[in-house]
Amino acid sequence: MTRTLFIGLDGCTFTVLDSLTSDLPGSGVVMPFLKRLMERGARAALRSTPNPLTPPAWVSIMTGRSPGNHGVYDFVRTEERGGEVYFTLSDSRDVRVETIWSIASRQDRRIVSLNFPITAPPRPVNGSLVPGFVPWKHLRRNVTPTALFDRLKSIPGFDPKELAWDFEKESQSVLELTPEETENWVRYHLGREEQWFRIAEKLLTEDKPDLMAVMFDGTDKIQHQAWPFLDPALFDKDKSEWAQRMIGLCRRYFNELDGYIERLVTLAGPDTQVFFASDHGFAASTDVVRINTILHDLGHLEWHAPDASESGKRRERSWFANLDWKKTVAYCRTPSSNGINIRVATRPGEPGVSPETYEPFREKLIRQLRDIRDEVTGERVFREILKREDVFAGPAMNEAPDLLLGLRDFGFVSIADARPAVAKRKVPVGTHHPDGIFIAAGPGIRAGVKADLRHVEDVAATLLYSLDLPLPADFEGKAAESFFSPEHLAAHPVRTGSPTLPVKDGEVQDGEIPDDEKEKIIKQLQMLGYME
Amino acid sequence: MAAVADNAAVVGMAEIAQVDPAIYADITGILQNMLADWGVDAADIDLETRLVADLEFASVDIIHLAVAIEEHYKRPRMGFQELLMKDGRYVDDVLVHQLVAFVDAKLAEPRA
Repeated sequence: MTRTLFIGLDGCTFTVLDSLTSDLPGSGVVMPFLKRLMERGARAALRSTPNPLTPPAWVSIMTGRSPGNHGVYDFVRTEERGGEVYFTLSDSRDVRVETIWSIASRQDRRIVSLNFPITAPPRPVNGSLVPGFVPWKHLRRNVTPTALFDRLKSIPGFDPKELAWDFEKESQSVLELTPEETENWVRYHLGREEQWFRIAEKLLTEDKPDLMAVMFDGTDKIQHQAWPFLDPALFDKDKSEWAQRMIGLCRRYFNELDGYIERLVTLAGPDTQVFFASDHGFAASTDVVRINTILHDLGHLEWHAPDASESGKRRERSWFANLDWKKTVAYCRTPSSNGINIRVATRPGEPGVSPETYEPFREKLIRQLRDIRDEVTGERVFREILKREDVFAGPAMNEAPDLLLGLRDFGFVSIADARPAVAKRKVPVGTHHPDGIFIAAGPGIRAGVKADLRHVEDVAATLLYSLDLPLPADFEGKAAESFFSPEHLAAHPVRTGSPTLPVKDGEVQDGEIPDDEKEKIIKQLQMLGYME
Repeated sequence: MAAVADNAAVVGMAEIAQVDPAIYADITGILQNMLADWGVDAADIDLETRLVADLEFASVDIIHLAVAIEEHYKRPRMGFQELLMKDGRYVDDVLVHQLVAFVDAKLAEPRA
């Protein structure tokens, strides 16, 4: 029997969800099933990771640990060697701690995990895993077990090209699109979500895993580009025919998603506890903040002179900062990082500040950035400028940016070599807000509860609790006890167990079971009559 | 290290003459496994095959190839930037023999 159904909704926010589960003029209730489910369930806003971004936040949801401990900060991982900066994609080997897929698997729970980022290359699980954010060309080799791909191929209409991450298409989610491109963008995600749903439907029906988990990410992608048609504060403003069509198309996406949710919840059965979570929320971004232009003007960064070679053109088109590394001291690597890296010279003659001047330099930079203001309103552009030790403390802190920037509109920075350094957008776009959603429903869950703010790390703890497993002693996340009825909590007290197993390069290492845990196991076996 | 004499003779390059046949076979196998779904002809992969120009690799495919090679040899973080970057710029293409030579050199290094 499936004990726990977890539906991830990337970037889902209560601003939109509350609107789509209410009676909207002309559309009625767009998500009627979710409305009913929420009425008989509990909910809380879910605070994301310090930089509310898909990779670190989903990894926190999957591990119960913060980025300073799990080690994933961005879509890309960067290595600086010998004055060169090399970018590669973050992958499962960057996750320094054990995931709930592993924790549940080694305690004899069968799991299915679909479309969660940073899960490729996959590690063995007791069940099935199809990673998210993997291009179709590489999907077959990245599912586990190996035979799973042939099972997926038996699904009518299964199309890896439609299902999988399209690197070229996804890069559009942060660009300005034409009206036609925006419309096509939404349509593209209608088919993708159906593909993921069909896989979830098949594995839930045939395998009945203890933990069934699927993530739908069109919610994020559509909100990025179509936010004005989803935000209740904005969607009445544009009365054009195209805007009305876009509103209809966006609502169709969410209505179809509601149907998928209904089918999965129904298939799981009435005894299943259902959870929904998002990695972050959404809000409107109105500013363009060109951080590397700001750093250039402050004298900390030099651009690389563009060249006409193919490599040079490719470099200019890429997402990554194209800088003169010999003359750059502080820079932002990627728009999604919202961070500033300060280069420290380890030897005389190397670019960067000396280790002794690092702290004074960083303090000076913070002061300089605080002084960046909107030319019209005089308002500070940066809502907060955080030192990494204050938000990313842990064994992986050294891989974090030295400073994390919070923009006044919650937006992401631009790293383009363009001016002005700060400008207003012509049209608001969707951006990540720190607060996403956490919803629960099912047996043992309190009805109609609006609980206090939870954190993304709490999702992993709550899912393990739902699976009747002890929470690892080193988890930072706590089970959302306020979601559960007193009777359920009394019958199923939250237990703390042994710590997670160590992980190296994404591989769970064999760990010794602590002595106290061994003693408990022996006692349990004795009680059951298996040992004397 | 044995040489792949036939290929070396065909292309006439000293660099290729040093290719380790076992690693060459591994890399060819990994490439053929990857290409099985792509609709690209993988039958004629040889030492001079270019990943971008001949096998239609995009940059994201090269990243996945690097991961596949690291997984095959159970050697994470082999340092592919040394192969893929020259003078601070990404190279335009990579030849199979360059890939084999890179892997050969990395496998000879002590594990971190």
